[in-house]
Amino acid sequence: MIRLRDVQKCYPLGERQVIACEVAQLEIADGEQVALIGRSGTGKTTLLHILAGILRPDRGEVEVAGARLDRLGESARDRHRGRHIGMVYQTFNLLQPFTALENVLLGALFGRGAGHAARERAETLLQQVGLGERLHHRPNELSVGQVQRVAICRALVNDPELILMDEPLGNQDRATGEQVLDLLLQMAAQDGKTVVMVTHDPASAARMQRTVDLATLRSSA
Amino acid sequence: MRLWSISLRNLRVRMVATVLTTASIVVATALYAAILVMAEQTEQRYKGSIGGYQAVVGPKDASQLELVLNTIFNVGDAPGLFPLQVAIELREGKVSRRGQVRYAIPQARGDSVSRHNFPVVATLDEMFSRYEWQQAPLSFAAGGPFRFGFDDLMALAEALAAHENGLRTGEATPPPRPLMRPEWRQAVIGSRVARTLGLSVGSSITPVHGKMGEFGYHEHPEAACEVTGVLAPTNSPIDTTIFLPLGVHLLIGGHEGGVFVVEIPPGKNPDDARKLPVSAARIGITAIVVDPKDHLGARILRTEFGTRPDAQVAWPQDVVPKFLRDIGNAADVLTVIAWLVLLVASVSITVAIYNTMNERRREIAIMRSLGARRLQILVVITGEAALLSLFGALLGLCVCHLAAWLLRATVEDMTGVYLDWLQFRWWELWLLLGVTGVGAGAGLLPAVKGSMTQVADNLAQNY
Repeated sequence: MIRLRDVQKCYPLGERQVIACEVAQLEIADGEQVALIGRSGTGKTTLLHILAGILRPDRGEVEVAGARLDRLGESARDRHRGRHIGMVYQTFNLLQPFTALENVLLGALFGRGAGHAARERAETLLQQVGLGERLHHRPNELSVGQVQRVAICRALVNDPELILMDEPLGNQDRATGEQVLDLLLQMAAQDGKTVVMVTHDPASAARMQRTVDLATLRSSA
Repeated sequence: MRLWSISLRNLRVRMVATVLTTASIVVATALYAAILVMAEQTEQRYKGSIGGYQAVVGPKDASQLELVLNTIFNVGDAPGLFPLQVAIELREGKVSRRGQVRYAIPQARGDSVSRHNFPVVATLDEMFSRYEWQQAPLSFAAGGPFRFGFDDLMALAEALAAHENGLRTGEATPPPRPLMRPEWRQAVIGSRVARTLGLSVGSSITPVHGKMGEFGYHEHPEAACEVTGVLAPTNSPIDTTIFLPLGVHLLIGGHEGGVFVVEIPPGKNPDDARKLPVSAARIGITAIVVDPKDHLGARILRTEFGTRPDAQVAWPQDVVPKFLRDIGNAADVLTVIAWLVLLVASVSITVAIYNTMNERRREIAIMRSLGARRLQILVVITGEAALLSLFGALLGLCVCHLAAWLLRATVEDMTGVYLDWLQFRWWELWLLLGVTGVGAGAGLLPAVKGSMTQVADNLAQNY
């Protein structure tokens, strides 16, 4: 599912280049649930963006869901992300002008298409997470937990092989967050989806099948 | 869900900016459409009302445009009086033996009917037997013409002259003023007069002098006439005209002293002129509708009237195209102004959307993280500008049609042009597409900026 080799991403800082992310080798199998942990500034989010195809590494090989992202152009990476990858962010990233159902459908629109089938799937997903009565509510009319469940539905609407999560429990109370995380992991496990979660929270990481410390990936390079 | 529905939602979210920007597009489109409608209908109206070799003879001191506009298009007031003598000479071939005419029908204007100020044209029954409208005599939708021929006119003119001379010479018992014969109190009305005033054959109409609300306005109950015929629609000024026998006009109260045109001899003042004898040929008329027999006849008439001191000839075929060119030039200026307004509106679209780009970076980054390509972001933002322009253009066309409906009576009274507010014109579709295209173009700059949004940087920000 995921194979990274000799990956490096640098950012300019004045006249210097600063290494933001460095991975000598990382392999994650299909259906595996992996937590990427590390101190602040170790490049967790950068790695997540590389896996999503939002960023292209300066060097190295990145293979995700059968595609060599390091070789693809921007538009192809966008298309690949829309179809094969679902993303859940710490800040949920729902669009305020759109309702819960429309936010989920936005994921479909830029993925496999927002036709009739996608609408049915979006409604089913929202009902599964207990938001059947909230389809037409906007994010500001929902609780934090409900907003995150909408974000999870949006990540799942294209039935992606890979789900990437960036600090999904960062902005809410622990009990609600764990409840929602359990729900996502359960839904992902049912369909055999691969889950990669970036977190600095050891308790959240402990819920995953495997934990990878970014510092160890770098040191082995 | 489609890309355009995202554009639409974004416009709804920024409702105030959307309404304000749309308003500028509405103004530009309505202005442009109104100019085109006026120019088109004016041209249709005026070009459709001239034909053949028809000419208009009128007083020497009037402008040719004034003469043609008043006589053919019912616009403005009659430019003045000139003697019936000219009509007599034209009819008898005395102006030029070679410049023979098929007809020369005298007219007198100055009165009107109803608050709509439908103009009254006092004339002969030849208007319905010899005069040709687009190569055919005028046809009647109901009834028929009144009876008042040239011989009737001359007999009446002789009697009026005899009476007037008796008064001027101070005779103790001057010949009596001729009375209005009952059979002359008849009228033929245009189709729109009939429709607007609800008149039909057998109805009665009372001419008025001047225009309602203006100084000198008064009714002529003594000249009330029965409608004998309603003309078939011509989509020309004839539709708004009321034709009365010239005899009625001459015998209307208040016209007595002013029906004769007397030249003031050198060294005499106007009071002296009132004592000079008059003749039937000095009866004053406002115009003669003339149709030369052929092209040569037309050229000869032009030459003969070039040197004549009391009258001139005006050719609608010459005057109207020049008039339309002048209007066209004015319309061109207005069109340029309309384009400038549209340009300003387009710039306002650019500015309005461009100014939102900073606050929308995160929204765009989120869409990109969901898999949206740069091109799709470009389409969404350009779509906002295009939709906004489409709404504005549609509303603008509606405003134009609404304005045409509201102002049609006023415009027709002032210019003789009837605005067909219900008519859809094909150029409206092109205008709609053009404005939408220009608007979409205006959205390109912010769209390019939006599509260049850095995804990772903007996703990382917490708002």
